[in-house]
Amino acid sequence: MASSAAASNPTIPSLNLPPSQFARLQPHAYLLAHLSPPAASDQPSVRANGRATSQFRVTSANAGSLTHTNGSAVVRIGDTAAVCGVRAELLHTEDIASWSVSTASEAEAGNTSQKGGSKTEDEEDRDHVQDLNLLVPNISLSTGCAPGFTPGAPPSTLAQSLSHEILSLLHTTRLVKADDLRIWYQPPNLESEEFRNAGEGMDVDSEQTGGPEPEIKAFWVLYIDIMIISLAGNPFDAAWASVLAALRDTKLPKAWWDADNETVLCSDNISDAQKLSLRGLPVSSSFCTFEADAAAGWRSVVIPNADELKSQAQKQGSQQRWILADPDGYEEGLSQERVCVVVDIEDGKTVIVKMEKHGGWAVDSDDLRQLVDVSAKRWHEMKRILDQC
Amino acid sequence: MVGPTASLSILQRADGSATYKCPATGYTILSAVNGPVELPGRRDALKPEDATVEVFVKPGTTTGGVGERAIETTLKSVLGDIVLGREKGFPRRGVVLTLNIVGGENVERGDSYLTLLPALLHAGLLAMISASIPLSMTLSAVLLGVTDSGEIVQNPSPAAAKSAVSLHVLAISSKDHLLLNQSRGRFDFDTWELIRARALSICQGAANDGDVAMGEGTNTASVNGFIRETAEDQIYSAYAHKLDSI
Repeated sequence: MASSAAASNPTIPSLNLPPSQFARLQPHAYLLAHLSPPAASDQPSVRANGRATSQFRVTSANAGSLTHTNGSAVVRIGDTAAVCGVRAELLHTEDIASWSVSTASEAEAGNTSQKGGSKTEDEEDRDHVQDLNLLVPNISLSTGCAPGFTPGAPPSTLAQSLSHEILSLLHTTRLVKADDLRIWYQPPNLESEEFRNAGEGMDVDSEQTGGPEPEIKAFWVLYIDIMIISLAGNPFDAAWASVLAALRDTKLPKAWWDADNETVLCSDNISDAQKLSLRGLPVSSSFCTFEADAAAGWRSVVIPNADELKSQAQKQGSQQRWILADPDGYEEGLSQERVCVVVDIEDGKTVIVKMEKHGGWAVDSDDLRQLVDVSAKRWHEMKRILDQC
Repeated sequence: MVGPTASLSILQRADGSATYKCPATGYTILSAVNGPVELPGRRDALKPEDATVEVFVKPGTTTGGVGERAIETTLKSVLGDIVLGREKGFPRRGVVLTLNIVGGENVERGDSYLTLLPALLHAGLLAMISASIPLSMTLSAVLLGVTDSGEIVQNPSPAAAKSAVSLHVLAISSKDHLLLNQSRGRFDFDTWELIRARALSICQGAANDGDVAMGEGTNTASVNGFIRETAEDQIYSAYAHKLDSI
């Protein structure tokens, strides 16, 4: 339309711009015009990408895409795509420098755990998974996923902090059970040993096991590699969903300690391989805040108090800020404030595992409460997608 | 409980510097700010009309790793938020903040930096005040842990933080905005609201019962009051020559 107008009257340049050009020249005004259309136009408030404010992008997941890994998944959220591969490698306990020292205290801890219940088991898990670094996630953005990231460059700050966030979330959720990663060995029950145990007065142990205690000979270390092959905003959600799907897909071969060869042997049989049993299904949802006032973040006027801010918003009537779920790259560039909520639902109860917000001062309790509800809805959606893949 | 201690402008060469020591968690942070400085490289492409805030975190005994990059990103967004980067002389330039962890336990791989975060924020803010970087407001942060029994503990020690069910760091601005929230662990939203209320009272003093009543005594009780007093002391000593001449 613009070109035809220009052709008919070449002296006066047309002020009609196609939407794509307007979006590039005036990104803030473009998104604002979508979110707050003039009342007369009778249009609903939607984002520039056609989604409602709390709507997530179309998500698809596909597990087991890579054949040479123990578990893998491709997750696509809109135009952001993440590939995750989990590779298990063996870590012999004799290769752990501090192992013989730590097992001594371990034996004592084991006694208490049998009385203590699930809590101490959790702590034992933390000791092994975290202290021995059995989970090693790494995220790579240098794949040419977006114009800003040159392929082959060293990991950017974003990639490094995402790796850390994923590792930290794996630890706080205790997603992987340490018991799945242990390779036990039960020494043969020799009578003489049993007598010796009894003689030393370890009644408690000999009563329960009636023989030498099984010992851990090796651990599985899971190398979780994530490649973002296309980045259009919100890399964390995509990366975390791919980790989740890949871990659900991960099968560890049956492994045992061969006393004669003094090594760990693995079974070739796929039917022997066991899936990981994960704790819960924490799903991450990210949000960003879009301010109607482009200068809200930097204008050096006196910033109103939190209470004033709230009453001001009520007085002005028209909405001043929008919290956008699952922001794409365009929206991320227009907002400072980020919120990330990771929830899990157990027996119908929403448990927040991680809640983070930074970069602004607009989002507070009321908004966060709503976002937790939105995240809980997203949890059901993601569960359905992950169950199907 | 022993309150934190801080001293400003202790380094000669930096534009602004501070040490911050939190006895409850045992961390000591030495921070230095230079700004506005010309940054190398092509900064124009990012945000030509704004100052770039760069944050570097140096751990005490090792070199920085991915955990440091993550915490730097967080600090950058929180502190960058309150810096008025469009004041005269600031656009296209940089404010470089270096935070050195001088004392306290090391953060292990994959551990969140939550226990350190309030100390880092306070040290960074005080250094910026010492360097007279224009700020829109100040902030105060607090670390809260929830124990098994549901009790809220303020500034838990690193050992207590490990056994806590959930850990929360909240940064509240001097005008009661929630600037930063980082929560890890298992909790529900009602618990978080209690945490939020507790953080507000710790940061801003027991209750905002009128501005006039806020004497010296009530000020020191809050973290925000502590930041304020430290800044006041600094100004007092900086302008001592003027006061003497009166």
